[in-house]
Amino acid sequence: MQTKGLKLTDVLTTVVVAIVFGIVYKVWGPLYYAVKPLGLHLDQLIYGMWFIAATVAYLLIRKPGVALLAEVAAASGEFLVGSEWGLEVLFYGFVQGLLAELVFAAFRYKRFDVAVVSLAAVGSTIASLVLDFYKGYIDQLAWWNLTLFIGARFVGAIIIAGVFAYSLVKALEATGVTQLLRPTTKEDYDSLDK
Amino acid sequence: MIHIEQLRLKFPGAEKRLFTDVSLSIKKGEKVLLLGPSGCGKSTLLQVMAGIIPRSIDVPMKAKKLHIPNRVGYVFQDPDAQFCMPYVDEEMAFVLENLGVPREEMNEKIAHMLQRVRLRLPHVHVPIQTLSGGMKQRLAIASVLALEPDVLCLDEPTALLDEEGTKTVWETLKEVAEDRTVVIVEHKIDHILDFVERIILFNEHGEIIADGSTNEIFSTYCSFIAEQGIWYPDVWETYEKPKTAQQPYVQADVLLHVQSLRGFRQKEEKIAVDELKIYAGEWIAITGENGAGKSTLLQSLMKLIRTEGDIYWQQQPLTNDELLYDNIAFVFQNPEFQFVTNRVDDELAYAFRLEKRSEHEVAEEVERLLERFHLNEHRHLHPYQLSMGQKRRLSVAASVTERHHILLLDEPTFGQDAKNTFALLEWLEAYRQQGKAIVMVTHDERIVSQFATRRWVIENGKLVADEPIAPRMLVRGGMG
Amino acid sequence: MRWNIEYKETWLHQTNPTAKLLLFLPMFVVIVFVHNPNVLINWTIGFTALFMLFSGYRMKHVLLFFVPFLFIFISTSSSMILFGKGETTWFRLGLIHITEESFYRGVHLGFRTLLFAIFGLMFALTTKPVLLFYSLMQQAKLKPKYAYSFLAAIRLLPIMLEEFQTVHQALKVRRAAKAKGFRGKLELMKRYAIPLLSQSIRRAQRIAVAMEAKGFTSERTRTFYYEVTLGKYDVYLFVVMCVIVAVGYYMAGALPYVAIKDVR
Repeated sequence: MQTKGLKLTDVLTTVVVAIVFGIVYKVWGPLYYAVKPLGLHLDQLIYGMWFIAATVAYLLIRKPGVALLAEVAAASGEFLVGSEWGLEVLFYGFVQGLLAELVFAAFRYKRFDVAVVSLAAVGSTIASLVLDFYKGYIDQLAWWNLTLFIGARFVGAIIIAGVFAYSLVKALEATGVTQLLRPTTKEDYDSLDK
Repeated sequence: MIHIEQLRLKFPGAEKRLFTDVSLSIKKGEKVLLLGPSGCGKSTLLQVMAGIIPRSIDVPMKAKKLHIPNRVGYVFQDPDAQFCMPYVDEEMAFVLENLGVPREEMNEKIAHMLQRVRLRLPHVHVPIQTLSGGMKQRLAIASVLALEPDVLCLDEPTALLDEEGTKTVWETLKEVAEDRTVVIVEHKIDHILDFVERIILFNEHGEIIADGSTNEIFSTYCSFIAEQGIWYPDVWETYEKPKTAQQPYVQADVLLHVQSLRGFRQKEEKIAVDELKIYAGEWIAITGENGAGKSTLLQSLMKLIRTEGDIYWQQQPLTNDELLYDNIAFVFQNPEFQFVTNRVDDELAYAFRLEKRSEHEVAEEVERLLERFHLNEHRHLHPYQLSMGQKRRLSVAASVTERHHILLLDEPTFGQDAKNTFALLEWLEAYRQQGKAIVMVTHDERIVSQFATRRWVIENGKLVADEPIAPRMLVRGGMG
Repeated sequence: MRWNIEYKETWLHQTNPTAKLLLFLPMFVVIVFVHNPNVLINWTIGFTALFMLFSGYRMKHVLLFFVPFLFIFISTSSSMILFGKGETTWFRLGLIHITEESFYRGVHLGFRTLLFAIFGLMFALTTKPVLLFYSLMQQAKLKPKYAYSFLAAIRLLPIMLEEFQTVHQALKVRRAAKAKGFRGKLELMKRYAIPLLSQSIRRAQRIAVAMEAKGFTSERTRTFYYEVTLGKYDVYLFVVMCVIVAVGYYMAGALPYVAIKDVR
């Protein structure tokens, strides 16, 4: 029964899940600048949370376009509940989602393992850094500081949006709810006649 | 109207087929009830009849012949999961937009539809979230009527409603469905027996075991229906409650004592009681209308929300809130929210491990609980994979330990079938006999009159009555 | 749209949501390519004034909205001020190295973030989500399946927040609401996320099924309950924005606050 593009169920599930993360994104803001004064770019270690909607939604729905949609929807959700960063989050959401999507596309949407989602997290990190480069003059930081900044962001992204996202979806799979999301296969139809 | 021949259907990943060659047909204007144990596939069949499977839900199926109507109105169970718009008028308009109704005609149509389901609102632009469950379901019916359906499919439309909501929803449905074909799946059937003409009875393997007029089925299959845990009209009359029920407990010490307790949500005071005492061996039922503050009272007793006032535990002023969690267990309405592990046996072990008991001891306790709550076969499953009744049993088994003296429950029998309800009530009664106190929010008057020893009535955030309930013996009677 | 704070409907509320979005979003790009702090300071003043005068909210609330902005101003500017490159040293202590260049660059970054935040707040406070998505369907040809999915999800927001609280209470009662260490914290997050996500997924599925059962398809052309059009207020907004941008830019050259013209 596969139709072209995402079905309403796919879109709606992606958006709803993404909006849940949108709230997390919003809550993450105050947390992010709360840990900021603690030390030198420790905050960058938790930056990866802002990439998680894309990877989780992709692992759940497993279809093209979902990662981008999820990240944009999560950013919109964050924006609508009143993000301190305002419209900026929409740009970041779009570019981060796009890079994650490109990573999944590069593997032809055939791989759903921890390595691929970690790569997608790396993609999103690069996206955010590019925007920061233009917006935040990060190249004007002292070199040791910049290295720390970028390194911490990559590490945090892989841990949170890669490994943690993967284990979260694994835990969700154990509950059985993901059964509803996966497309049926020919074998499923064949087993009707057994 | 509907004709299905040799339907086969199997959920992906399931071990067995849900249906093997099921055939049935329904004539125009018939009012049919699909009846059977939970998990027999009634709702799935209803979705096939409505074309939802496989159009919206992709489940592998095939049938030799499948004739289903073009226009079907489907009312779902969960009032919170059938709307996509925030306001009443917008939700109604959504259906009209789908049908391509011109904008100028919409307001009139919306008013007309709401009128038909007797949904009287101060204004059509009312947030859906402010409606009661029963009103939400009537809104769902109104929006379905806009489709001018040939067939109405009702999938347990009142399963999540209280008594009052159930009554009004069925009244409305009977009115609007008079001249239509209606297929119903429902467990609480006392309200609809005068409405349905035909019953199709399923067994747990998804096979049709009987198909006939309502009277015929009830006279021939009454014991089968009773075994399935269906809420048929005389279910309470035939039920034999434990002999100890409502008998006073001998050694009644005060466990919890609260004075001028007030509970707040955000900054608003939501509940205020002058004085309450809970004695060992009591079964207190908290009753009152929706939104009166019953659940809020439970949360305040446990200090889960912001409270003011004095709380005494066994005559001593409360020094820290942890003491409450040590002595009082709380079973929430939705069992899933309380699960913290990925397996049934781990779930049961959680509390013991928290107490740092030896693994050997933990294993013993878990075995005992698995046995006691009939969860042994399912010990390796994820808690979410259990059936409604099993989830409820697990949530009780996992939350209550020997340390606890009081058990708070928020509508624990809500949405449960008769069999599970009675099993739970009996377990609670046995628990009470150990000198524990039970405090339970419920809408079910039968439970109050048959099991409770005391009743608190809550109205508008105030305790308006605190009265003992005299034990009542049941008059034994046969099935009607 | 926010938490039922009362407000007056001003002309800013009457503007077309899509038009407003299309006017605001490019400002992001424009602002990113401005390196003169004088310009940004003028624009911040101009758009703050627009917001305060015409958002229709009470001054008390507006000031409350601005409190978090103070934090992000400090937070975004501080790393650049403390660790940025520069020549004219003002202060040095260990790794901290404040220079004139890094200071102005930091302040410039603070104003940038402030401007983005003001645009975001202005948009969010003067736009109803329902009208935004109706407008996107009508003016930007957004596919209905996306628009209604967003609306359905927004409708679920309060329900989800309530569920979050319930989960929190339920875990507290089972003494499972706390955890130690980084790993423990991640496990704890999972413990909250699983019930909330699984409930959301099920609900999303059910809503999608219910929507299709109510005749929703992407094939047929649909009518709209709300007709959202472009109007004179969109022109007003465009003109006002042009004036603020142009005057702010000109004044930065004519009457600068600081001597630095480029913070790079």
